[in-house]
Amino acid sequence: MFKELDPILHSQLRLAVMSLLISVKEAEFTFIKEKTNATAGNLSVQVQKLKDAGYIEVIKQFKDNYPQTTCKVTPEGVKAFEAYVQALQQYLKV
Amino acid sequence: MSQTEKFSAVESLALIESMINKAQNKYSENGTLYLLWGWVVFLCAVLHYGLLTFTELGKSASLVWLLTLLAMAYQLYYIITQQKKAKVKNYTDEIIGYVWMVFGICMGLVTLIISQLGTWQLLYAFILLFYGMPTFLTGAIMRFNPLKIGGLLCWTLSVCSVFVQGREIILLLIPAVLGAWIIPGYLLRAKFKNSNNG
Repeated sequence: MFKELDPILHSQLRLAVMSLLISVKEAEFTFIKEKTNATAGNLSVQVQKLKDAGYIEVIKQFKDNYPQTTCKVTPEGVKAFEAYVQALQQYLKV
Repeated sequence: MSQTEKFSAVESLALIESMINKAQNKYSENGTLYLLWGWVVFLCAVLHYGLLTFTELGKSASLVWLLTLLAMAYQLYYIITQQKKAKVKNYTDEIIGYVWMVFGICMGLVTLIISQLGTWQLLYAFILLFYGMPTFLTGAIMRFNPLKIGGLLCWTLSVCSVFVQGREIILLLIPAVLGAWIIPGYLLRAKFKNSNNG
């Protein structure tokens, strides 16, 4: 019996964001935008969905008078990501 | 990149792999601090030896090492500005930062203890020993062999220092900083430029 793939993660942009964040301690929104080649609007929506799911933490602050958004994976996000990769591996073993 | 498009398990794994590579490929070490400390120690060692050999200054010659305070001040300024500029924080940089912090603390303590209880020749032997530790560890963490070789060189020179117990012991610092910091510093700078142009 296959595990169902987490619908939050099984979306190209959200998975790209999680894969980026899983490899670093934290990253600015602009860094994620640059690496995923996504538009700011689209990325904002997907980041919000990941935040609502509790997979990432979004920190909004001001740096040199400019707003700065930083994202980092939560322990729950790490668990979900690991479960997603395990489920993928299960699919690929067939 | 579409957010709703469904894709296969193979495509998912390929995407994960590519994003992890993108996050890790950005080479964050540009060698500035290695070059700063390499050249400062190089200069201090040459001046110290020169003053001891060609002048009557004696112990006062060691005051040239106060130059390192300027290097420390610049290092502090550099780290603060780099942290402000950084768009991403990764675990590797954090661990390397701790390794060098431990080195700085140990160097400070060893200098204090040996200057009170030991001889200055012993101090130089320990300095060489301590230079090797963070250099080798950073090389291992970054998988950058020139730093590992530099670390090994420092340890070898530390052993050599047992047999060079005159003022010439100061000169051992020159090959140590050339091999451990200056050459790796330039190599890191070249690698950083390539990584950011590529």
